[in-house]
Amino acid sequence: MEKDFPRSCDIFCAVVDNYGDIGVCWRLARQLANEYGLSVRLWVDDLHGFGKMLPELDVSLSQQTCRGVEIRWWDSSEKAIQRGFPHPQSLPRWEREASVDLVIGAFACKLPDSYIAAMVASEAKPVWLNLEYLSAEEWVESHHKLPSPHPQLPLTKYFFFPGFTPRTGGLLLERDLLQRRDAFQRDEDAQSRYWRSLHVPPRTANELRVSLFSYENEAIPELLRAWERGAQPVTCLLPEGRALPQVAAFFGLAGGRAGDVWQRGSLAVHVLPFVEQPEYDRLLWACDVNFVRGEDSCVRAQWAAKPFIWQIYPQQDGVHLDKLDALRARYVEGLPADAAPAVRELWQAWNGGTDVAAAWARFSARRKQLAEHGPAWAKRLSGNDLALNLLDFSRQVA
Amino acid sequence: MKTAQELRAGNVISVGGEPMVILKAEYSRSGRNGSVVKMKMKGLLSGSGKETVYAADDKFEQIILNKKDCTYSYYADPMYVFMDEEYNQYEVEAENVGDAVNYLTDGMEDKCEVTFYEGKAISVELPNTIVREVEYTEPAVRGDTSGKVMKPAKLVGSGFELPVAAFIEIGDKIEIDTRTNEFKRRAN
Repeated sequence: MEKDFPRSCDIFCAVVDNYGDIGVCWRLARQLANEYGLSVRLWVDDLHGFGKMLPELDVSLSQQTCRGVEIRWWDSSEKAIQRGFPHPQSLPRWEREASVDLVIGAFACKLPDSYIAAMVASEAKPVWLNLEYLSAEEWVESHHKLPSPHPQLPLTKYFFFPGFTPRTGGLLLERDLLQRRDAFQRDEDAQSRYWRSLHVPPRTANELRVSLFSYENEAIPELLRAWERGAQPVTCLLPEGRALPQVAAFFGLAGGRAGDVWQRGSLAVHVLPFVEQPEYDRLLWACDVNFVRGEDSCVRAQWAAKPFIWQIYPQQDGVHLDKLDALRARYVEGLPADAAPAVRELWQAWNGGTDVAAAWARFSARRKQLAEHGPAWAKRLSGNDLALNLLDFSRQVA
Repeated sequence: MKTAQELRAGNVISVGGEPMVILKAEYSRSGRNGSVVKMKMKGLLSGSGKETVYAADDKFEQIILNKKDCTYSYYADPMYVFMDEEYNQYEVEAENVGDAVNYLTDGMEDKCEVTFYEGKAISVELPNTIVREVEYTEPAVRGDTSGKVMKPAKLVGSGFELPVAAFIEIGDKIEIDTRTNEFKRRAN
């Protein structure tokens, strides 16, 4: 007899920096709770960062429920008392907490020793998964779902790798996302209302709308200059964040904030507030080209099915460039031969390469082919749903 | 304690109380400067093999077993036979030889370290660096001496193929890091 899906789940997230870790965990938590009916607790060690993408979150509370997910604060460094936050009495009593069917440690975060001990002691041991980072590299397939028996304890963790091929864990994709995307992209009124809500004027003829979400990047000034001097009007939608100081400096400003509009030559920049995930999806759907960074927004750009440029999280020894090239190689499969090099050149130029202006010109010239390629690529990826795969695997190893 | 990334084929570690010999360890860079190590290992008590993966900083108790310096003698299917300085012969199962098989050749003089568990030879470790002759590779690329451009080369004896620098020619002797199977430099 086939076993049931797990009914309860703990997801542990240690926020390293930026919003990628918590972004992925929050998305997964909501999907497991709201689409699959699991009772989900999301343990987060940095509520302040999380609050940026969940405005109703009360960062002074160590326990609260938002959108069907119980959100709990934990201290991944176990130094809560020294930090005095929230307060020592609210520290979790792990021996009472570890009684779920499924435990997910996101991105190799270390679970509290006492929580692990409680898992060992529990009669019905939970399935324990390590949700790894996303990579398009080939080695991921041979590592996916492998066990990781605890060196000292009678407990086995499994490594679960997201990915772009059927032999990996797939990608996070909400059940109705692509239908909602299609409906929005077909509905010009909805798009007009969306732009109005951002206080961005209606599109003009021949205008290009570009979202720009990036880490600090030496290529930013050169790209902005190319847009400024180009014949085509470019409206750049810039969410507040790490790229903002560089863009402001391009306009001779010390800084900027949401609501600012800067114009020079053919370029207009609108600074947007940092928005919730569904709002960011709409921005990606509405723009013609999307610059994205890290893991979560890269995946969302692929679901948006518009031409996109990925800035990968930089790592030591340039190892990230292999990962960049691995996704680029998969993404350009099926593209006309003259369009694929344009993707390679711009992605490389945007990730520490040179001559981003020339690379942009070539990319822009192939935009129509890339725009046609996007939906087919998204459809190809959509058959491999991470949340479903994860639950199915949990059922197999339970 | 040793971290997963410090372990190599031939090491014996304790996993859940059982001594396990590592047959193969493969290091991969994950995200955010993290790494994982895929390990093929075999239980010394149960004899069962398993493929596993660990975070590179996961810690293991290493079991120190008796070891002897030996030289490789010959292959007697399915065992590899090694000999110590007193001419005692020890058989190691082919499966337990791991990646070392890539470099075992008749008449080789490299000192190998054979590990024993309860009197039985259970694994073999090669020196970190060994020198082998190239049996075949495509003609050398003139002008490239950087060592960054690579091409495949087949080794004399074992027939093992690995990437080498483009300037390497047939008959060249090369230094290889046996832990990573990586070409290091030309040896002659």
